[in-house]
Amino acid sequence: MVQNGQKPFAVVLACSDSRVPVELIFDQGMGDIFVVRVAGNVVDPVSLGSIEYGLEHLGVNLLMVLGHSNCGAVKATVDGGEAPGSIAAIVKKIQPSVAKMAANGISGAELYSKAEEENVFTTIQEIKASPIVHHLMEHGLKIVAAKYLLDSGEVVLL
Amino acid sequence: MKTSKSLMFLLVLVMAMALVVSGCQTQSKESTPASNNEAAKVATYQRPDGVNADQAKQLLVDGNQRYVSGGVLKKDLGQARRTDLLKGQKPFAVVLTCSDSRVPAELIFDQALGDLFIIRVAGNVIDPVTLGSIEYGVEHLGSPLIVIMGHSSCGAVKAAVDGGEAPGSIGSIVEKIKPSVEKAKASGAAGNALYQKSEDENILAAAADIKKSPIVSHLVEAGKVKIVNAKYDLGTGVVTFMP
Repeated sequence: MVQNGQKPFAVVLACSDSRVPVELIFDQGMGDIFVVRVAGNVVDPVSLGSIEYGLEHLGVNLLMVLGHSNCGAVKATVDGGEAPGSIAAIVKKIQPSVAKMAANGISGAELYSKAEEENVFTTIQEIKASPIVHHLMEHGLKIVAAKYLLDSGEVVLL
Repeated sequence: MKTSKSLMFLLVLVMAMALVVSGCQTQSKESTPASNNEAAKVATYQRPDGVNADQAKQLLVDGNQRYVSGGVLKKDLGQARRTDLLKGQKPFAVVLTCSDSRVPAELIFDQALGDLFIIRVAGNVIDPVTLGSIEYGVEHLGSPLIVIMGHSSCGAVKAAVDGGEAPGSIGSIVEKIKPSVEKAKASGAAGNALYQKSEDENILAAAADIKKSPIVSHLVEAGKVKIVNAKYDLGTGVVTFMP
């Protein structure tokens, strides 16, 4: 793999949460998945650039955005309050998803869950706005929205 | 009469079979000590809670040694472990590394569920979202160790060294790496050595960026968090911690 380069079959954007080890969840090993992980699985220029690199440069034609239940970054956003330092940059990315769900009349524990899912959709919309990704979608790239359930271990497609 | 005879025959047959089966069982019982030894060799991974930075680093060193020697442990990926982790995660280290599919941090360090808080972007560079993720790991979750792990044959670093047009947002990664390439060039590195030196400089640059965070530097000064730099060799599988 060192000599021949990597040929991952999927790019996965997931959360940094220690309970979401992407390779273990999908039972994959070396060279299988190009993994982008940041708290709250949000995109900004660097994580978007990473995804573009995986799709465009490595020729991967499947992208999964994988949110998860009990997400601390989403919870911090829902709960509000002061987000210190650069954590605020993540909270700011998640806020529109929370606001949208709250505006739909969702509250309580359901708000966490729905905001986690909306955050996946919002992220995908931002990824699709990339000209590189948009171009690749016209040439067979598939983008999948999914959620990992910490309790059962299941990955459900949204 | 005929029925009872065949019944007797059936009974004898069943008894004979039972003897054969129990014989097999005795045999398999005799071989249990050997299989117990087998099981002991692949014990399930367990780690202590509440480790400090040095102990956390040692857990990583030990795990990478198991990985390199082919002696990885079994992992508890069962329902009980998942249920237990619903109470909250207590990862013992925050690892910033590359998205490269050949750098699966959990596998390289022989760790599993709930062990490592992992940030992965191409070229393991720092920007507000990756820094915020690291801050969350040390400040909110209380991890005592931050590891910045670059790797050999890094495509993002190679792109920055080779120059040329970096399309789309890939450009923002290349821009982050360029100053490290310039530093490496200034040190006289050229050819293959330039890639390697740039990878090393890029690790140091990320560490310097992380130290600029008031949240992180406060925790470091209070002795609660340590930052270590490391590099993963794709060929050998060895993680070398930089002094």
